[in-house]
Amino acid sequence: MNDDKYLSVGALTKYLKYKFDTDEHLRNVFLKGEISNLKKHTTGHYYFSIKDENSKINAIMFSRNTKQLNFNPEDGMKVRIKGRISIYENTGSYQIYVEEMEEDGLGNLYILFEKLKKDLEKEGLFDPKNKKPIPKIPEKVGIVTAPTGAAIKDILSTIKRRFPICKTILFPALVQGENAKEDIANKIKLANNYDIDVLIIGRGGGSIEDLWPFNEECVARAIYESKIPIISAVGHEIDYTIADFVADLRAPTPTGAAEIAVPSMYDLEKLLGQYQIRASEAITKKINYSKLQLESITGSFVIKNPMVMFENKRQYLDSLIEKINRDIYYLLDNKKQYFKNIQKSYLFKNPKMIYENQKEKLKNDIIKLDLVNPLNILKRGYSLTYKEEKVITNIKNIKIGDTISIRLEKAKLEAKITSIKEEKHGKER
Amino acid sequence: MEKKDSKFEEKVTELEKIIDELENGNIALEESIEKYAYAMQLAKECDEKLKKIEEKVNKIVSENGKIEDFDLEE
Repeated sequence: MNDDKYLSVGALTKYLKYKFDTDEHLRNVFLKGEISNLKKHTTGHYYFSIKDENSKINAIMFSRNTKQLNFNPEDGMKVRIKGRISIYENTGSYQIYVEEMEEDGLGNLYILFEKLKKDLEKEGLFDPKNKKPIPKIPEKVGIVTAPTGAAIKDILSTIKRRFPICKTILFPALVQGENAKEDIANKIKLANNYDIDVLIIGRGGGSIEDLWPFNEECVARAIYESKIPIISAVGHEIDYTIADFVADLRAPTPTGAAEIAVPSMYDLEKLLGQYQIRASEAITKKINYSKLQLESITGSFVIKNPMVMFENKRQYLDSLIEKINRDIYYLLDNKKQYFKNIQKSYLFKNPKMIYENQKEKLKNDIIKLDLVNPLNILKRGYSLTYKEEKVITNIKNIKIGDTISIRLEKAKLEAKITSIKEEKHGKER
Repeated sequence: MEKKDSKFEEKVTELEKIIDELENGNIALEESIEKYAYAMQLAKECDEKLKKIEEKVNKIVSENGKIEDFDLEE
């Protein structure tokens, strides 16, 4: 096998490097993109990548070139680069050798914008609950903008057309350039010293750099701190600035701001007319209703025919009387019936029954009484002995010679005691 | 700065409130008639103010804080 046809890596890389280095286009490259992975070496060389949404390229900038930079590169920065493309033989990777680099103004402004927007939002400067209501009918409108140019013209003519009785106060401010942000912020603060109902801040259309002061933090804070409600109107409808987010209301244009700030006189007159009509209708309705109410009261039958009330009472009374009569007859009938029943009863017809009953009972009672009569004992041969009408039960009360009487069943004897003999075995002493 | 009466917007707001009350009808008749009279007066005042179109001169606050008339150069 012929070994000659195989290249070494070094040879291939050298060849490629030669191709790169001799290519006209690759010797003079203008590139824009975002810096990432920036490493600033102690030697003064910068190693980094340039990327966009799709691709990435390694970059190196030697110290002799970095010394020429008029800004301090950082990750995320948008830059515009002039350089050449070559290959670094050790790794075989191609890269851009940056000779000149400048900030990509728009790109960086965009980054700043996004960062400030995020920070201020987090801080609550855009919070709807911090927004002040815009008065519907202001008497005095303040304007912070340039004293010349389309914006102030548009605002004043719109206010004059819609609501000519409104007063306007202009706080002239620089609206572009280095000092604009401070001036705008100061004029917003100044306006707060005046008796103003609503403040319009803004400017006409322009490039993003022109509108930039309205993206500055100090302007945002001045808007946020304003006691007067603020309508922002910066540039055209498509332009959104930080000021728009902080303002109590964003108008698409200066003309739009004026339209929001003041009502149209025509609409207002129409509204007042409507109010008058509504008030009249409401009061007419109220009066008619009250009339109707009164009619319905006076029309009530008790007012129209008070006798009806008595008739009702009369009728009620009649019904009561009728009821009482009915009840009393019923009661009497009941009693009558009861009495009749008694009359019809057997006992009532044979009162002798009661007498016989009583007689029988009495006989029984007499028999019972007889059984306990002491005189009945005499019938059986016993007798009672008296001394001076007292029954003798104890011999101590008598002595020999006493006259005693003895009671038998059907006779009474007189006797004389001839002897007294005590019997010790008797039950009684 | 003259401030002889309440602001226009306050008057209109009050007018709206009274009309709402009248339309709800929950007030006594005497009161409603009083309110109606007041509403009509408010409406008249507002209307007069609107019709009395005074050409307002635009003002400008100069550097030293003074308020001056301001004319737009066309």
